[in-house]
Amino acid sequence: MKAATKTIVGTSVKRSDLLAKVTGDAKYVADMTLPGLLHARSKRSNIAHARILRIDTSRALALPGVKAVLTHENVPRVLHAGSPHPRSASVTCDQYILDDKVRYWGETVAVVAATSEEIAEAALDLIEVEYEALPAVFTVEDAVRPDAPQIHDREPGGNLVLPPVVVSRGDIERGFAEADFVIEGEYEGGRPTPAYMEPNACMCQWDGNGNLTVWISTQTAFMVRGIMAEVLGLPLHKVRVLVDHMGGGFGAKQDLFQSEFLCALLARQTRRPVRMEYTREETFLGGRTRHPVKIWLKQGFRKDGTLSARQARIVYNSGAYGSHGPGVTIVGTSAMTSLYRCENVQLEGRCVYTNSPIAGAFRGYGVVQTYYALDIQMDEAAVKLGMDPAELKLKNAVRAGDLAPSNHPLIGHGLEDCIQRGMQEVGWAALRRRARDAGGPQRRGWGMGCEMHGSSAYPGIKEQGNAIVKMNEDGTVVLLTGTAGLGTGAHTALAQIVAGELGLRFESVSVMHGDTDVVPWDIGAFASHTTYLGGRAAQLAAVEIKRQLFERAAKLLEAAPDDLESADGSITVRGSERSMTIRDAVAPRKGIPAAQFVGTATYHPTKSYSFAAHFVEVNVDIETGQITVLQVVPVHEIGKVIHPVAAAGQIEGGIQQGIGHTLYEDYQIDMRTGRSLNANFVDYKMPLSMDMPTIRTVILETAPDPGGPFGAKGVGEDPIVAIGPAIANAVYDAIGVRFRHYPIKPEQVLQALREKQSAIQSPEEEGVPA
Amino acid sequence: MKYFEYSEPASLDEAVALLRGGPAPASLIAGGTDLMVQMKEHVRQPAHVINIKKIPGMDDFSFDPRDGLVLGALITTRQVETSPITLRHYAGLARAATDFASIQVRHRATVVGNVCRASPSADTLPALIADGAVLRIHGPSGQRRCAVEDFCTGPGRTVLAADEIVTHIEIPAPPTRTGKAYIKHGRRAQMELATVGVAVRITLDDAGRVDDLAIALAAVAPTPIRAERGEATLRGHRPTPALLAAAAQAASEEARPIGDVRGSAAYRREMVRVLTRRALEQALQEIQP
Amino acid sequence: MKNRIVSFTVNGEAREVAVAPNRSLLDALRTEAALTGTKKGCDVGECGSCTVIMDGRPVNSCLVLALEVEGSEITTVEGLQAADGRPHTLQECFMQCGAAQCGFCTPGILVAAKALLDENPAPTVDEIRFAIAGNICRCTGYTKIIDAISLAARPGAQS
Repeated sequence: MKAATKTIVGTSVKRSDLLAKVTGDAKYVADMTLPGLLHARSKRSNIAHARILRIDTSRALALPGVKAVLTHENVPRVLHAGSPHPRSASVTCDQYILDDKVRYWGETVAVVAATSEEIAEAALDLIEVEYEALPAVFTVEDAVRPDAPQIHDREPGGNLVLPPVVVSRGDIERGFAEADFVIEGEYEGGRPTPAYMEPNACMCQWDGNGNLTVWISTQTAFMVRGIMAEVLGLPLHKVRVLVDHMGGGFGAKQDLFQSEFLCALLARQTRRPVRMEYTREETFLGGRTRHPVKIWLKQGFRKDGTLSARQARIVYNSGAYGSHGPGVTIVGTSAMTSLYRCENVQLEGRCVYTNSPIAGAFRGYGVVQTYYALDIQMDEAAVKLGMDPAELKLKNAVRAGDLAPSNHPLIGHGLEDCIQRGMQEVGWAALRRRARDAGGPQRRGWGMGCEMHGSSAYPGIKEQGNAIVKMNEDGTVVLLTGTAGLGTGAHTALAQIVAGELGLRFESVSVMHGDTDVVPWDIGAFASHTTYLGGRAAQLAAVEIKRQLFERAAKLLEAAPDDLESADGSITVRGSERSMTIRDAVAPRKGIPAAQFVGTATYHPTKSYSFAAHFVEVNVDIETGQITVLQVVPVHEIGKVIHPVAAAGQIEGGIQQGIGHTLYEDYQIDMRTGRSLNANFVDYKMPLSMDMPTIRTVILETAPDPGGPFGAKGVGEDPIVAIGPAIANAVYDAIGVRFRHYPIKPEQVLQALREKQSAIQSPEEEGVPA
Repeated sequence: MKYFEYSEPASLDEAVALLRGGPAPASLIAGGTDLMVQMKEHVRQPAHVINIKKIPGMDDFSFDPRDGLVLGALITTRQVETSPITLRHYAGLARAATDFASIQVRHRATVVGNVCRASPSADTLPALIADGAVLRIHGPSGQRRCAVEDFCTGPGRTVLAADEIVTHIEIPAPPTRTGKAYIKHGRRAQMELATVGVAVRITLDDAGRVDDLAIALAAVAPTPIRAERGEATLRGHRPTPALLAAAAQAASEEARPIGDVRGSAAYRREMVRVLTRRALEQALQEIQP
Repeated sequence: MKNRIVSFTVNGEAREVAVAPNRSLLDALRTEAALTGTKKGCDVGECGSCTVIMDGRPVNSCLVLALEVEGSEITTVEGLQAADGRPHTLQECFMQCGAAQCGFCTPGILVAAKALLDENPAPTVDEIRFAIAGNICRCTGYTKIIDAISLAARPGAQS
């Protein structure tokens, strides 16, 4: 029977949502319309830091077709967290729907609702705004100066989003005293953005009884409901949030972006449905980026390669508002207690306001930054020690019993398994011994990078997953889940889990989601927790159904419930020929109505950790400085694969984003004015089909987590963390130049090669690797 | 996009009359892949858009070994990319058309449109300049010709009057023992605006010396330019590796690049040096012994 | 503001819509023709989400004026299925290979892939990559998209 369960869980079944996507039937918010629909557009500031002295909307209101214009003068003044986690420590309560101040270039100052998009756009030019410029700061260094302009009037002050996050373990002074050598470095991360393909969109409609319906592209439907209700002053039962299909979020679509509240207010004022879609430029201007970062990292090593001390100062640039700054700072900083074992750790993380684009939640959540530094420094230490970097990382890899960043003991040896398997797959030892390219401008190199990531946002957020499973009178099942459908295939995985637990065919399970009036509460899709958290809740609810089902079937089969097994839609009595279909077990019989089985479950997870080691080959053209990633062998340990193709898809997609981070993507602003320089796909460059390497994914199931459904853990964020350092380390292998930042630009490669060349020619200069 | 009037003239004279007498400012639309973007980004806001795709006589694509190639204004970059004629005789132009943009854009964008857009980083311009291409222009007083090399006067500006239409490109037939190449520099493999573009045409004489050559550079000056000192370095000499390097060095010194979000001036200059040498090597390899 | 009538064929069906001159084909398809399968990812021809086949050629519909398609034949993602609703081989292969995640780029890539296979029934992997170079996907990393198109191109796969 276990074999039949494994047939569904662990198989790449046909995903239920894909048919609508490949036929074009899938409806995203911009595809939806309602009678009388109005179109809304935002007017955005063209100054980075200013007070609004005067805003005149009269000419816009006079334009035929314009039905409403809102500014800070006629919207409620409610302070909120933007990101809809009203009661968590992850987010920052520092936004108004519209304020009389702007804090970054492109902040919304007014919105228009009109009968067509063209008219709404024309109306924007008719809104006159008079600004009083305020001094602006665009770097963290400038923002923390004592005389810096204060961007927000709130605690703790000094342009800090939250008080510094301090994490200590052991005794850092003793740790450094024990070290045989110390290595220190500064690492820097730029500003990649999620750049999801579906621009943000929402549509709002009120009925005559003051009930609001919101169709929205979001990862967190219940959070949207919660914060819309809070800001608009409504009880929760009067707000209904609907999410059908959404075109990617990668973390950023957990936030509300000012525009959603405004869309609802426009709909209320005009008494018509209002739809607002971001232009692509607006997804940059008004969206959420990764936090740029500067990290100072110092570690002490013993002669045998083990770590004795780790000290780091991490400074994240929050941009103009806090958004997920607290969560990112806490998670990114705490992550440095782990990955490579070290008893004595002293870390400080800060998050600083600047008048720059807003940084928020983005796949990897602070850990992309800190593990880039940590893993590269391990490679640097390997050179100093004369050790192979993979061997050094293997030696120091965290393992069973070590304290995870969440302060729970880790389970299993997932990281070691990944490193060893990867070394085997690529023939690492032979690669390290290989002869190097002699002539020509092309240089190849191999590198590897490691990571770990937790499923669930515990302990920062005490999460909860809920599920309701109903069995119909023909034995088919509906799973009601609050989990969001980002496009990852999570709902298919949940259906597999329910089918696997109940012994049903996969096709017998359907998933109901995306309507906050119907499905049970869920925190939303983020922190790689949908399969782990939502899946476990679904499994527990299915277990409850199975209990009721077996109780009924036992009577019909004249056996004890404990003697029953189910698979492939049938229930059998173990060790006998007696069986019946689940359908028959449930169906009405003469005088006996059909069974009504409902199972509910609530799951409070702690945390499980997944691991990865990426092995990467790059080519560097030493005349142009261009780096190309040739092949990637990502090895991931995720406990239990529910849907292998979907898991591989997450890994491959995360690698595309990570290659982008490391080599191409940087959302830049003019450092004098704060104006965006590349809010478009021409100059914000993501890897395209011709830029992607071959990827040979290996998935391990060697450290299942008992808290996950069938032992499964998350996978969504791991790939984007491991690939970056692997690339940087491969570049070092290719050309002997150490980069400690991303993105690595061709120009910087040439500059570094030139410096290396002149250092070789004047060997009295120190500190350059040969 | 703001509202505009729209016309589909059936002849060149009708088009010219509309340019002279219709609502102003007016823009011609052929492929639309530049104009539509400019209108959406409010860079150009014509009151009148004139679709020239219904005008006969502008879809010529003919080659004669003596007279060379004639491309009508409606010939798309995709047609140039895939034509055996261009692949054989105008390899630089064919490469420029291939690297130009996505296939969706290449199926619509015209070579003449790319020329008239006069972007300093345009792909077809350096290849056409290196090949000695000439434009045939129709206006109220009839037809005139203008070398592509003399056509651009600044970023987005040309010698074209408001009531003139480019109808054809004429490209001379290459002499025997001629090789051509175009190399576009960008961060990614495709879908880039050139950070630097280099097109070369090189002809050897019987003794293996450079009889004639052209080196055209894009994205390193307000218009595409000829690297004349680079050319002079090689003309009349055997193209040895040392001389190729010297020519490339000279070309890089002639470049006048700016720094922007796509790259610094210093990097662009360095890429002129590297890619000019590589383009010359590539073009030389094309020459049948 | 004067609307004009434009007549064209979409997915084999004759259509007539009234549009202003400054309306793009993309907006006319999505709104006037109520075919929302084709998506607007950037509206300036940089992402390929709006790809349709026009008179046999894949084009960005956001860069075509609606009035330009008078008399043309347009194929959108909605036209890939057979008349009886059976999915096209490409659609089957996309589902089988997991080549779609969020699905937003999928219509544009399917149409670009169909145009490729119509012209080149047996493309190499490099030719596939080149044909979809103008289609941005942010979810899949392209690996399974390329697998799916390769699978659809195999002899005997086309039903």
